[in-house]
Amino acid sequence: MKDLKHLIYFENLLQEAQNELVSKAVDEGKKALGYNCYYIPEVLLNLDGCFSSRMRAPNCTSTDVASYYMTNRTCPYARSLLERAVEGGYNYLDCLFGGENCATIERMEEHFFLLDLVKKDSFFVTQIDPPMKGDKTNLEYYKVQLMTKVLKPMQERMGVDISDEAMKKAIERHNELCRVITEIGNFRKLDNPPITGYEFHVIQLVSQVCPHEYILPYLKETLEELKKRKPEKKFPFRARVVVVGSEIDDPEFTKLVEMCGAMVVADRYCFGSFPGREEIEILEGETAFDAICRHYLHWNQCARFMDGEKIQQRHDEAMRLVKEFKADGIIYESMKFCEFWSYEKVMAHHLFTNEENIPCCTIEKEYALGAVGQLRTRFQAFIESLEIKNIQGGK
Amino acid sequence: MFDKVIASIDKKLERFDPIWRAEHGVGGQRDRYYDKTGVAKYREWRGCRDTFYDYTCWLKNLASMAQMVASAPVACLKGFWEYRWMGSYLGTFMFIDRLYEGYRGTELRIAHMHMHAIVQSLTKRIAMILSNDERFGGGPLTDRMVAMDETIASIMMQGYKDLIPIPLQTLPEFIICDVDQHIEPYYIDVAESFGLPADVCSRCAAETGVALDDAYPIVGKVLISTNMPCNASEATSMFQRRRYGKPDFAATLAMQHNEPEALPFSKQVLKDCMAFVEKEYNVTFDWNSFFKAAELFNEQNTIELEKWDFFKTPYSPLTGISETLYKLYEWQSVNGSDPYFNEVDRKVIEIMRQAYKDKYQPFGGRTRHRAFLWGPSAVYYTDFPTWVQNCWGINIVLNMDSTMGYNMINTEDPEQAMDDLTRIAEKTTMRHMAVGGWDNVNSVWDWAKSFNCDMVLMNDNIACKGMLGVHALMEEQARDLGFHFIFIEHDLEDSRTVSRQNMRDCVNSYMSVVLGEEPLDPTIVEFDDSEAY
Amino acid sequence: MKTVAKVGGKVCGFALLAFVGTFGMYMFNLENKLIYYVLRPLLNKHYDSQSRDRRIV
Repeated sequence: MKDLKHLIYFENLLQEAQNELVSKAVDEGKKALGYNCYYIPEVLLNLDGCFSSRMRAPNCTSTDVASYYMTNRTCPYARSLLERAVEGGYNYLDCLFGGENCATIERMEEHFFLLDLVKKDSFFVTQIDPPMKGDKTNLEYYKVQLMTKVLKPMQERMGVDISDEAMKKAIERHNELCRVITEIGNFRKLDNPPITGYEFHVIQLVSQVCPHEYILPYLKETLEELKKRKPEKKFPFRARVVVVGSEIDDPEFTKLVEMCGAMVVADRYCFGSFPGREEIEILEGETAFDAICRHYLHWNQCARFMDGEKIQQRHDEAMRLVKEFKADGIIYESMKFCEFWSYEKVMAHHLFTNEENIPCCTIEKEYALGAVGQLRTRFQAFIESLEIKNIQGGK
Repeated sequence: MFDKVIASIDKKLERFDPIWRAEHGVGGQRDRYYDKTGVAKYREWRGCRDTFYDYTCWLKNLASMAQMVASAPVACLKGFWEYRWMGSYLGTFMFIDRLYEGYRGTELRIAHMHMHAIVQSLTKRIAMILSNDERFGGGPLTDRMVAMDETIASIMMQGYKDLIPIPLQTLPEFIICDVDQHIEPYYIDVAESFGLPADVCSRCAAETGVALDDAYPIVGKVLISTNMPCNASEATSMFQRRRYGKPDFAATLAMQHNEPEALPFSKQVLKDCMAFVEKEYNVTFDWNSFFKAAELFNEQNTIELEKWDFFKTPYSPLTGISETLYKLYEWQSVNGSDPYFNEVDRKVIEIMRQAYKDKYQPFGGRTRHRAFLWGPSAVYYTDFPTWVQNCWGINIVLNMDSTMGYNMINTEDPEQAMDDLTRIAEKTTMRHMAVGGWDNVNSVWDWAKSFNCDMVLMNDNIACKGMLGVHALMEEQARDLGFHFIFIEHDLEDSRTVSRQNMRDCVNSYMSVVLGEEPLDPTIVEFDDSEAY
Repeated sequence: MKTVAKVGGKVCGFALLAFVGTFGMYMFNLENKLIYYVLRPLLNKHYDSQSRDRRIV
């Protein structure tokens, strides 16, 4: 296929947290609001006068200082963010909206204020107590948490307009971005898509780490380009897989899977588009804030949800993606030392392999893409098994 | 006259007393043991009075166990046959001996009063659960039982007169791992054989293993799980609910329990939970019944708070594991449901008052340091507080777990009572300080200071992500505030990863290298107890 | 009187025997030795030979 016009530009934007579009927004006086989890609604951080910045630590290969603080037995994603913060990589941020989503992330965020890591006088950190069920009681608590720890601080400390009108506008802008990304992503449903999983991963990531208003024109242009882009004559991969997991913010991971022969057709992980790029709908009688809270609690697929309905929902969602994107199998990823995903992948492997007859491969990885050889071997073996299954007619 | 005879016998036999032997450089506690096994050749000679007292307590505990078997002989036999963890309960006597090594006089008396309360309660509970276990055909109480996660404050269920709360993990996992260090590794291996990584918390891995091995007793109509205390325990409940296969309710209380928004939410969660129980069992909440239990609970808490005043002095004969284990059991498994514990509390506080008046110093005044113990100990090494006292003279004044939910419950106003109950439930085992933000962790220094401790022993669960996340900050705080601070690495329920000797070495190194102190009993500085229960 | 003394003697004798027996058992840790060296190995053998219904669901 012909190269996408902006792919290299997008790739460059992913090389550091404070990329040129982030710097541009900061220079224009916009408030940079850091977050690291779907529990903090991206849309709220894109109210007028501010922009969301999902935190990554690209090219972080050593976490020496962070390991001193948090030992080397904690989540490498959290440690990498801490290391990057110690290096001064997040000095552009005006605040960090965190949460007690998991113990390690919570502790990592605490270091931001205990060690005064971001060199900006007005910088502050708040942490929500995220719900673990999808029922009404938890929805109400979620609203209280977001109001007191996200919106109120934005209003009181930064002067951001948090009115219903302002939120409706933010939703409109957010939905527009979601429509573009979803349309791009839907090409992956085709038998011979004009886009690779790697390219989509890059596109999805830039939409999360760059100010929306600056990246949207590039995304729209890319969408138009894709509509006309000619795919390879023959589908160049040997299999199609859905990747499910946690914080995968390195497109090289997707590239690795694809180089082993399987196209990543759907991305159901923390930095992926499922969930994240569903449009927010305001139901009759709802305020914009109510709609946002309901939407994010409903679509959240986090492995920490404990009630039967949400557990079922996250497995159903993975199944839906397999069907809609015509995948041959699922790769379940977990970050090393992640308690939630360690358990989830054991359960998922059983469910998909034994109950649903969907081939499932589980892997554990570091944040920075190391041990590539081992992963490659696992993927190659899995893809080979998918191929054999296909040859044998799914038996 | 009688006292003189006793004193004369004691004098003659003192060479058999391990403490005397250690003081005179001719031996110590470890002399009595067969190498590696933890089996003593003979029991500890503590002097005539204390040995005879220990013997009578042994008899009482033996009687409780005999009573358990006599009350449900077939069910007990089936239990021993079916459940691997039941076999481990045979190690109870060895466990008690280990815990109270070196205990004499008043501290021994209190320790045994506490232990017998646990033994009599636990044996009754085992008999009751096995007699009503659906796996063995069930019993008359099966449908009145409510299987609950062990960390839920079960006092909530006292409002349902006809229902019996059963902390699900207590028998096969929570208590038995204290008794036998070899039992949970088996269940951990089962969980890992399904692909669970070895770096998750071993307690939760063991709970998962018990579920996968189909080794939970099956009782009641429902399962109530919870998000307490930590990530791994939240995740493991996914397996337990599936394997248990009954209608379930996840009581997910607020993690940030010190914040004002938490209380209304957690309260509503408890109300939702109660509505679920009422629907499934067709019962209604009886406030009078609840208030009665709350009165017992409040009395326990009142006495507990008075005990704390004595803990702050050098004259508390209630100390170390005797304090910790009893408090933990009383809080988690009794929770105002058994007046026997109130009787014990009343007797113990009387003894403590007298000991304070008499300026009684436990352990013969051999205490050199007063330590606050942070974090759940390696449960395969429950006698660790006993060892640090006997070996280095470090008195464990109070354990972090003992500070969980101690507020009173209003016994007149249901709404206020719900608020109080919620506060207690939010601050359950391992949760009071370990979750909900830095301030809760950091409070350890205030606790240590207010209990006049010069030392903090930090049990460092190598798989506890929450506490690993504050590793260096805690060390820096200790340095700044001038506490002796020892990280004691352990793997909670898996003694294969960090052995008991590895744990001892953490203390040995600090005491000998940093503080330059000599052990009180050199025979227990380094020894092999890898094959002991 | 004689009978009372006889019965009393027997009771005392029995109590003494029971005491000596149980105290001997206690002091020489006999029950734990029996459990550690005999009962638990037998039970473990049984547990190891069990076929468990080991599965996720």
